[in-house]
Amino acid sequence: MAERRPSGINSRRPSVIPYLAGIEKPVLPSIPSQCDVLICGTGLVESILAAALAWQGSRVLHVDANPYYGDTCATLTIEQIKAWCASVNDGSSGFQGFSKAMLHIPYPHRLNSRDYGIDLSPRVLFAKSDLLSLLINSRVYRYLEFQSLSNFHTFENDTFGKMLSTKEEIFTDQSMTLASKRQLMKMMKFVLEYDLPENKEELETHMHEPFTDYVSNRFHLSSQQINELCYALGLAPKPDISTIQGLSRVRRYLVSFNIYGNFPTLYSKYGGPGEISQGFCRSAAVAGATYKLDCALKSFDPDTKTATFEDGSKVKISEKVVCSPSQAPEGSRNVPERNYEITRLITIVEKSCKEWFAEGESAALVVFPPKSLPSNNQFPVQSIIMGSGTGCCPKDQCVWYLSTIEQGERGRRDLESALKKMEESILRESEDGGFDVELTESDVAVQANGGISVINSVKLGKSFKGFVPKEKLTYLLKLMFTQYTSVAPFGVVSNAVFEKAEENDHPGNGPDLKVIYSSMPSTEISYDGVVTEARLLYSKIVGSDDDFFDVDFEDDEDYEHGPSSESAIVDDAEEFQPEMAFEL
Amino acid sequence: MSSPATNQISVKLVLLGEAAVGKSSLVLRFVSNDFEENKEPTIGAAFLTQRCTIGDKYIKFEIWDTAGQERFANLTPLYYRNAQAALVVYDITKPASFIKARHWVKELHEQASKNIIIALVGNKYDLTLDSETGEEIEGSRKVSLEEGQNLAEEENLLFFESSAKTGYNVNEMFTTIGEKIPEAIAKKDNTRDQSGGNRIDLNAPAENDIHDSSCSC
Ligand SMILES: Nc1nc2c(ncn2[C@@H]2O[C@H](COP(=O)(O)OP(=O)(O)OP(=O)(O)O)[C@@H](O)[C@H]2O)c(=O)[nH]1
Ligand SMILES: [Mg+2]
Repeated sequence: MAERRPSGINSRRPSVIPYLAGIEKPVLPSIPSQCDVLICGTGLVESILAAALAWQGSRVLHVDANPYYGDTCATLTIEQIKAWCASVNDGSSGFQGFSKAMLHIPYPHRLNSRDYGIDLSPRVLFAKSDLLSLLINSRVYRYLEFQSLSNFHTFENDTFGKMLSTKEEIFTDQSMTLASKRQLMKMMKFVLEYDLPENKEELETHMHEPFTDYVSNRFHLSSQQINELCYALGLAPKPDISTIQGLSRVRRYLVSFNIYGNFPTLYSKYGGPGEISQGFCRSAAVAGATYKLDCALKSFDPDTKTATFEDGSKVKISEKVVCSPSQAPEGSRNVPERNYEITRLITIVEKSCKEWFAEGESAALVVFPPKSLPSNNQFPVQSIIMGSGTGCCPKDQCVWYLSTIEQGERGRRDLESALKKMEESILRESEDGGFDVELTESDVAVQANGGISVINSVKLGKSFKGFVPKEKLTYLLKLMFTQYTSVAPFGVVSNAVFEKAEENDHPGNGPDLKVIYSSMPSTEISYDGVVTEARLLYSKIVGSDDDFFDVDFEDDEDYEHGPSSESAIVDDAEEFQPEMAFEL
Repeated sequence: MSSPATNQISVKLVLLGEAAVGKSSLVLRFVSNDFEENKEPTIGAAFLTQRCTIGDKYIKFEIWDTAGQERFANLTPLYYRNAQAALVVYDITKPASFIKARHWVKELHEQASKNIIIALVGNKYDLTLDSETGEEIEGSRKVSLEEGQNLAEEENLLFFESSAKTGYNVNEMFTTIGEKIPEAIAKKDNTRDQSGGNRIDLNAPAENDIHDSSCSC
């Protein structure tokens, strides 16, 4: 072998070496001329679909009209939020997936754009859920970081309470009578067993009656407890849910407990659906999908099966085109109706809000049941609180995401009303250590498992009514907007939505003939429904979803070579554990 | 026996560079001391890990190789996130790949964390040498040594010319990065709260004894 020596030292410098000055943009390659499936929009559903198709062997071209990943569920920096608002309000594009974006940034110089990751549609992940299983099966979880979220607060009678949801909490609570504890435990037991044969009759009789009636008649729970079950544990987005809906929602919470620990939900660090989308896009890319951002679909010709992009490039498609409504070509005629509204209010506040988080955590949920606010809200207001530990904002700040399915002006009023209550609450709780209520020994509940003393958090909010805060809460950003979706609250995405474009195929009918549209993000605050929709789309393309992410990743595992590989390294254990199989 | 795990450092290292400059080949050389003459373009590898001992440090490299995404320079922010090191690779026989390397360095400075250690790597050094004589083949090299050194100096990068084929400088670049790591970890970027003490490993469920037994779904 040639002797190794530093290059260039003795050798002549050939004169052909050009001097490469400046930072020029290299010439970009062109998109492939052919693919099996074109997907427009890198939202979560589309990204899961892209990865599933790519691993199944389809040649996928995945584009997004935006210069960032995530589309309608993106995680954005402050600068991106500004641009996003402008594009929502200018309305020049035909797409009406969002409206009335109002942005207020009182102290622009205090916000360093890149320090923030703001979700357009934030969600929490139940520990026992289809998305979580998919994250594991697909190995996408390895690209992400997850943290726990335990605290589900309910706002009632002008106070914040924290739902007692574990046996330990119920038994150690001082405010409940023994009889009511028993009833609550009975209720929880039934939630876990309602589909056993012996409960079949009972369930069928009451299935369609209002959940609230059923629970109060059968288990004699207080209206506050019922609200907590329904709106906090169940995260119901609307009142008057049926018994079966209520039971399944509360069950979702209970079965998620103790999967990873003493908490029901998790969230992905640095951003929610926007971050998880990126994980699936990376997975798709690893499986061979081609990605291009800043690439908008102009038209699709179903006869020649050719898609044309705004920059003039073309691709021949052998299978299907899937498109998010947000990325529909101009002049589209087949985008599904979006009949449901979500009103969202996102704020960044200058407070850590750690008072709301469980020990060691950085996030919480706060729920305002119907009629609990001065605005006399008809629908619940749900809010996700993300502290700086979530990687979404700097230290001593916090992002609050409020949302409701109440429409228009009423929705905005409800959110403002809820915001005010949250402001009062956090000022009160964080002031001078938080208490001007006398604490008695009974306020300190000792948890059976850990032996940690926790202050009964209902007490924290007490005497709220007369409270006048000494300080004011500083808002660094306030963003309100309306989002539209074709997914009904509680509704599972149905095939009918995707069929519409196909029915509508009279020749000459728009630049989006035969394009399959996905839905906009649903009103659901958890990730439920996302995988279902991706599977439906997958079946529409592949024919069935039997091999949806049916991938054997064996070869992709860690290479273990070299002298050090046999050492016992503690954190290796996790890597060789068989995949955890979740029942759904 | 003292467990090496106690001072094991995990290092996320990302690879960047134009197609076919030899990114995957460098990883293959480092991870399994192997080389393939006609390597297929990379699809398929999510990330590889390689452990090595550098002095008294035990380093676990988690190596992220680019996939179809880098073709249009559309890497996800997720790719750069918390990367402690990056290899920006070009092919010293392909000037265009050097221009692209400049582009990636710029991108890293914008997107990645401030203390990321970047190594600029001019690969395929073997192609410039006559395998018989070891002399440089005239005209084969298209990016001069100085050109690379200058860029590295301006941008504060480590610099190597390497060959995945012969192994020249491959271990060296990883070792040098490994040596530099702890300082970087110590002065970690603090604008965003990186602590996140409650990271949950999704692949390690807790003992499930409370509700599961009664769940019949
Ligand atoms: N002579 C020589 N050939 C090399 C060297 N490194 C890589 N190659 C060859 O260059 C080609 C491309 O190498 P890869 O490692 O696949 O390049 P890459 O940067 O990973 O390419 P993409 O994954 O497509 O971006 C292969 O045919 C390799 O065998 C080297 O140091 N010397
Ligand atoms: Mg490669």
